[in-house]
Amino acid sequence: MSADAPVERRVAPSRRFGRAAVVTVLAATVAFLILPVAYTFVGSFAARMTGVVPEGFVTLENWRVVLGLADTIGSQRSMGWTTLVALPGGLAVQVPAELAFSVALALGGVAINLVVGVPIAYAVARYDFRGKEWVDAFSVLPLVPGVVLGVAFLRAYPDLSATSFGLVVGYSLLKAPFMVMAVRSEFESMDLRRIEESARSLGASWPRTFLTVVVPQARSGILAGAVVCWTLAAAEFNFSYIVYAKGTQPLALFLQRHISNSAFPKAAAAVSLFFCIVVAVTVALQRLGNRGFDAIGGD
Amino acid sequence: MSAAGRLADAVVPAWLFAPVTERDRERRRILALCLPFAALAAVAGVYPLAEVARISVSTATYESVGFTLSAYETLVTDPYYRGVAVNTLWFAAATTVTAVGLAVPIAHALEAYDLPGEDLLVTLVSFPISLPGIVAAFMVLVLVGNTGLLTSVVAAFSTAGPLDLAFGTTTSGLFLAYLYSMIPRATLILRGAYAEVDARPAEAAQSLGATPLQTFRYVTLPAIRPAITGALVLTFRTALAIFGTLLVIQSLVVWTLQISRELGPGYNLRVAGAMAVAYFAFAFAFTALALRYTDAEVGL
Repeated sequence: MSADAPVERRVAPSRRFGRAAVVTVLAATVAFLILPVAYTFVGSFAARMTGVVPEGFVTLENWRVVLGLADTIGSQRSMGWTTLVALPGGLAVQVPAELAFSVALALGGVAINLVVGVPIAYAVARYDFRGKEWVDAFSVLPLVPGVVLGVAFLRAYPDLSATSFGLVVGYSLLKAPFMVMAVRSEFESMDLRRIEESARSLGASWPRTFLTVVVPQARSGILAGAVVCWTLAAAEFNFSYIVYAKGTQPLALFLQRHISNSAFPKAAAAVSLFFCIVVAVTVALQRLGNRGFDAIGGD
Repeated sequence: MSAAGRLADAVVPAWLFAPVTERDRERRRILALCLPFAALAAVAGVYPLAEVARISVSTATYESVGFTLSAYETLVTDPYYRGVAVNTLWFAAATTVTAVGLAVPIAHALEAYDLPGEDLLVTLVSFPISLPGIVAAFMVLVLVGNTGLLTSVVAAFSTAGPLDLAFGTTTSGLFLAYLYSMIPRATLILRGAYAEVDARPAEAAQSLGATPLQTFRYVTLPAIRPAITGALVLTFRTALAIFGTLLVIQSLVVWTLQISRELGPGYNLRVAGAMAVAYFAFAFAFTALALRYTDAEVGL
């Protein structure tokens, strides 16, 4: 600052309040995002929620209804239980139908994602070729939203669309970008050319190199992608809603039925059940060293 | 070589089955690696979308016959559909600008400051990404619905009843529900960009006497501008695709909700198909143009 200019003694407002304002925005947003989650979870153990403080603690009745352990009727009808494994001697392992159904559907979607996502991620990470940017963009951007894909499936595969197979194929296309992203970033952190050349120079064929050397080394990225895809597929609503016709409902439709029809504590229990799944998956992801969902536009 | 031979050569090049050079083998590998994805995209994406495009110009309701643009004509001329389109666009634009506007300070706080419990904060802000739209809408009802937490708290301190204060099922409530889904996604993109920004120029500017605001305006902002544009593009696409939220809070009819209504009573598959095609074309053109003509950076 030159000597003849009047010295500014006033502290700039952004120096005094800037940091506080930015942190306030963060704190307010975290509160907006997390307060209802906590309130819902607490409320799921209450008998009534009419005032500020839920009443009638602690009851597990809502959870029992949602999990199908209590008798329910009509739109309040909750998960049925199906036999997963019948053991000799009349014993059977029973699981909640919607939960098991969604778990299986999402696993099917993940299986397809692995087959289509890992190779294309490798192609983009390892090789240079004409049209690479296009392949990259197409494999990473979710191009078709769930509602549009649902309409397309209804028209193109009217007999298949409402079946489990239709749902699995739809999920796998909708969630493929997340698998490609997770696996590609893992591949990009590896020295692929060196790995490939060492294995080849030791006599392994190229397919064998890819399957037994490259893919196992990228397992943490592949696992992270699988977990993310699984969660997003289990929670997929838009496509399922358009395509679903009858039978066991996917989890997201089960949630919607409770949100639209049930009393608040029961809807809270249904949503909390889903929170528990997401938290379990997030913990699993952090164990894998992933910072969270690398999601850019999952709807 | 005969014409048929040349044609076969053009369709099935020699390197596919009898590769000679390493370059040929590499091309074959790239093709093999991309093939599974291409197959899924063709079966689950291209073919169904083509069928929808076909039925949308059909003259019959359930069969793809003839050619007419009447469904598209309805979309363009019917004031109702024009209203739905306007609703969709302004609402998505308004929520996108708000979400990204909030995500910039959030990403700044998480990446540029040393806050206590930062890992926990990151986890909490990222958590809603995995929640479907119906749950986002439920969360807003939990806060400001008729028996919502904030509604009850404010009602306890005011003379107005909770039903006068609640706005969960209004357009404002829907706005909040959109933000609930979009802020975490926008933050994720911007945090990635912040992590790559070199901190030294900002420190130099500060030590040379620039205020925090000036530092942000002239040093940090230019560095993250491509990421902000990218976040705007992707968040806008997310906003257009939102559907489940609207089933819970039906205060505004937007494009996706209208598509599902066309499939309800009356089952107007042709108009639903035309709307799906229009949506796809718009989203595709928007993304392609935005990535081509702006400095948007869409990489994670």
